[in-house]
Amino acid sequence: MNAPHPMIPEPSHDEMAEQLFVRDLKLFVMGDLEPVQREMAMQVADAVDVRATNDPVGNLRSEMMERPSFRQWLGLRRESQRLLWDVVGDSLDRRAGELAQRAAIAEPKGSVRTNPDFRAPGYLVDGDVHLMPGGYEADPGEGSVAQGALMDRGGAIYMLGRNGGYLNDFRGQTAMAHVLTCYPDLDPKRIVELGCGVGSSTAPAAACFPDAEVHGVDVGASMLRYAHARSERLGVAVHYSQQNAESTDFPDGSFDLVYTCAVLHETSQSAVINILKESRRLLRPGGVAVHLEVPLLMTIGSLWDELSAELEADYNNEPYWRGALTADYEALMRTAGFAEVRTGYQRASMGAARDANLHFGPDSEGVFRSWFVASGRA
Amino acid sequence: MTRSTKRLMPIPGLDKADEQTMAMIVALTSEVTVLRARLDAFERIAEAAGLVSRADIDAFTPGPEADVERAAQRRRTLSRVFRALREAGEADLAAQQAV
Repeated sequence: MNAPHPMIPEPSHDEMAEQLFVRDLKLFVMGDLEPVQREMAMQVADAVDVRATNDPVGNLRSEMMERPSFRQWLGLRRESQRLLWDVVGDSLDRRAGELAQRAAIAEPKGSVRTNPDFRAPGYLVDGDVHLMPGGYEADPGEGSVAQGALMDRGGAIYMLGRNGGYLNDFRGQTAMAHVLTCYPDLDPKRIVELGCGVGSSTAPAAACFPDAEVHGVDVGASMLRYAHARSERLGVAVHYSQQNAESTDFPDGSFDLVYTCAVLHETSQSAVINILKESRRLLRPGGVAVHLEVPLLMTIGSLWDELSAELEADYNNEPYWRGALTADYEALMRTAGFAEVRTGYQRASMGAARDANLHFGPDSEGVFRSWFVASGRA
Repeated sequence: MTRSTKRLMPIPGLDKADEQTMAMIVALTSEVTVLRARLDAFERIAEAAGLVSRADIDAFTPGPEADVERAAQRRRTLSRVFRALREAGEADLAAQQAV
């Protein structure tokens, strides 16, 4: 966790101690408190025979909610998430000047295009995903990059260092590894990531295909300014623009590769369909779309994992999670007009995609060890 | 060696969850008080001896060995402060097993 970050100011001694505390609190909640609740839930499931009902997870959930220790565990789990944003937010407020300084790039190679009249889609404005205050779209104004910094630093801590440390780039690397695995002939010259956030998955595309022109699209101006500065500091040229991934202003057929990383489960059901359609519209004939996601529900495993994910959806503001992770991506991709559709699991790339152990197959190797991918050709 | 007390009389009207919350806040306050006192003692002794200033402390970066020790210390603190939740979970589980 101690690796320096090119964009976020180094935290002070006390800020670092606070952030490490939050990370360890989360590990404690997951590692020390959760196993007891899981064991209890499995016994309750058997005792009450919830699997014989038409809503096993719902019934198990109401049974568990009767138990004070379960409610307390849930409360602490949510509190740890709120504390995370609090701690990171305080640290960034104290270092606002230094952050703005780092965000000022003298001769940028990429660009950022924001739109003051842009309105983010309702499904994002209604609730702050991951409880992050201000959500993806908040903009403190005056060229601020603060919201992006909050998401970047908080996200890295949230991932507990399992997803590429402070770079948090394993998803993007894995999406590129999928291209190298299944479409080795593609060699894209124009690439766009829809729902790019702070650009943690965009930079890997620029690194993997250095001759390509790379674009990133998302809804928040502050987040995109930050993403741009971050990319410049990492030495990659990316062009960011503030748009809705369901309907961008790029011309038809203007890209060779369009991709998303863990975006679909944060969007409404109609948005999923629209984003798949848009990813098809943007591709030239023979171009490729790659949609990478967390493991689908049917591969998640136990009733407990399903319940735990339900709680995450409700108490960590990810309301569309269930719909997105039970969708038939094979059918959705075909409906969107793709050919050669592939669905399965891409082995996680734990570094540069070109050095990855390339493997794509039907089975999940576990959370963070592989990612679900639906891909196809235009 | 167990840290749980057998037979704790319920306090009428006090919610179990409130009781756990109180236990945690008490433990936490205790941790912070001890920490403050220790730090205060250290800073006074060190400053009197001309060893450190506040700027030195703010600029301090722990090395790999210190990182490991500090991580263990954080885990100990967490385990102590949230003991009540761990015990409550275990008690609920035991009650479930007895069904």
